[in-house]
Amino acid sequence: MATATSRQLPVAVDAGWETLPERPWYVRWRRIAAQNPLGVVALLIVVGFFVLGLVGPYVAPYPPRQLDAAAQFLGPSWAHPFGTNETGNDMFSRVLVGARVSMTFGAIVIVFGFVPGALLGVLSGYAGRWIDYVLQRSSEAWSAFPQVILVLTFLTAFGPGLRNIEIVTAIGAVFGSSRVLRAVAIIEKQKDYVLAAHATGASDARIFARHVLPNVMPYIIVGISGVFAAAVVIEATLSFLGLGLAVGTPGWGIDLNAAIRSGYGQQYPFLVLFPGLAISLVVLGFNLLGDTLRDILDPRLRGSR
Amino acid sequence: MWRYALRRLLFLPLIVVLVAVFTFVLLRVLPGQDPARVMAGQGATPDQIKEIHRQLGLDYPVFPVSLRGEPPFVQLNRHDQFSKWLGAALRGDFGVTYQSQAPVRQEFARRFPASFELILLALIIGSVFGISFGILSALYRNSVLDYVVRVFAVFGASVPEFFLLTLLIILPSYLFNYAPPIGGYHSLLREPMLNLRQFGPPALILGIGGSAALMRLVRTTMLEVLRADYIRTAQAKGLSRPTIVLTHAFRNAATPIVTALGTAFLAVFGGSVIAETIMSIQGVGAFFFISTLSRDLPVIQFLAVYTAVVVVLANLIIDLSYALIDRRVRYS
Repeated sequence: MATATSRQLPVAVDAGWETLPERPWYVRWRRIAAQNPLGVVALLIVVGFFVLGLVGPYVAPYPPRQLDAAAQFLGPSWAHPFGTNETGNDMFSRVLVGARVSMTFGAIVIVFGFVPGALLGVLSGYAGRWIDYVLQRSSEAWSAFPQVILVLTFLTAFGPGLRNIEIVTAIGAVFGSSRVLRAVAIIEKQKDYVLAAHATGASDARIFARHVLPNVMPYIIVGISGVFAAAVVIEATLSFLGLGLAVGTPGWGIDLNAAIRSGYGQQYPFLVLFPGLAISLVVLGFNLLGDTLRDILDPRLRGSR
Repeated sequence: MWRYALRRLLFLPLIVVLVAVFTFVLLRVLPGQDPARVMAGQGATPDQIKEIHRQLGLDYPVFPVSLRGEPPFVQLNRHDQFSKWLGAALRGDFGVTYQSQAPVRQEFARRFPASFELILLALIIGSVFGISFGILSALYRNSVLDYVVRVFAVFGASVPEFFLLTLLIILPSYLFNYAPPIGGYHSLLREPMLNLRQFGPPALILGIGGSAALMRLVRTTMLEVLRADYIRTAQAKGLSRPTIVLTHAFRNAATPIVTALGTAFLAVFGGSVIAETIMSIQGVGAFFFISTLSRDLPVIQFLAVYTAVVVVLANLIIDLSYALIDRRVRYS
């Protein structure tokens, strides 16, 4: 056996494939970026909104709640690119600051809903047994019902408010992410590297943490973009329906609500247009990002979506 | 197959009871706002709240069995809210709404036609639009049409419905000073124009919004099927293009598409809540929304059961249609 190896090794080195230097990471990333221009745009949108969520209040040209009776209902101009509302608030500033509400909401849902759900899903796909059964049945029941109706029923039970919307959306995210990751884990655990790790005597926990988890990481990122987009829409929708943020708080959904409820939206469509476009742009960014990642992960699907 | 359907239907009562119990727990045990407080308004005294509780029957224990902190730990209740509700519900009586004091069933029946039409219209628009453009986009891959469809599919899935519906109200009003007919239900047969003016636009938005995902799926599945060997065989036999596309390709792509139609139905069904609320259509969806605001428990309870029945039936229809589409699928 030993002689066989020693005889083969020099041949491999002679062929040169073992000594081929790996290209540095930025070269590989640049190639991926060049092949997916839309993905780069999506990434820029997403990162841009995250940055806005962090620095929005500091870069906004006006305080978002500043009352200014003289500046009521000004149309879009250089001083007020998105116009002003009935209390003279600068809508551009409100849209910038509103990013914080949506991005924080999405992040909370990811941390408290998606991440535990993903871990649970991988665990249940990997370990099976009763965890799997319980998780499967409850997630089936949850996804059988229309989301709007579920969320509204739960919100009736918990009472309205942003905190409760976060809880309900996070519950949905647990089921959503666990289902996707469970399927991935089931495929993954039958792969040879798991068998090999078992053969070397690694424990289940070690295989899960060191081998399975890194391998399913890309799918987790795809899932995160989907759940984040959905969460932003849920928050905006419920705030729009008057169940979330308090009126006056700068947020995209609640600003739309204010424009419609006051009836001013009919006369001044820009009050509706810009917050709505902001929501659409964030969701578009996450959707495109998810699509691009999926394409990179599964080259077979490239161009077919 | 029919025996399978019947057996599935036998599960319906079980699911309905489970959903009813779950909703009961959810609405009565969790710390949401007390409906009596909503009804009494601000500044109500504890006695007034108690009186309203008594009138609504909310002062009884929730279930026939309740837990206690001391032995024997369980306690049987002679009168409880759930048995009373279930007993009446079995006789077709779902109580009266807190808001109007009219029977829930009557309020529901009054609103059902509007929702039914909206959902049906949206589903027809969505599936016709989604399936036809999905097929065309797959057939003429990388053409201008294909790009338009793909861009639309991404954008359509990104712009939230409530934003589009809001634009639907404000833009015609701003540009043409036009407002859609509001409130009431104008029968399709007696006042067709008024009816379509009321339901057409929201159904279009719900349908087309739901069709984005469908379009993508139809396109992907068709592309995969069109590569199959039996398509080439069919072409070699000299069959006409429509025959190949519709009976050979589409039929084989139909199974995942039916699944997607089921998802689209759920989306439209849920979307009707938002659409009816925004467009002031007096349908079941808007009824549900108003009732969650006022915590009208009998209404929410009834509508939860109604939703469960709709969901179970929709899933049954989807499962049965697999067998109709694909002879290899057998249910026993």
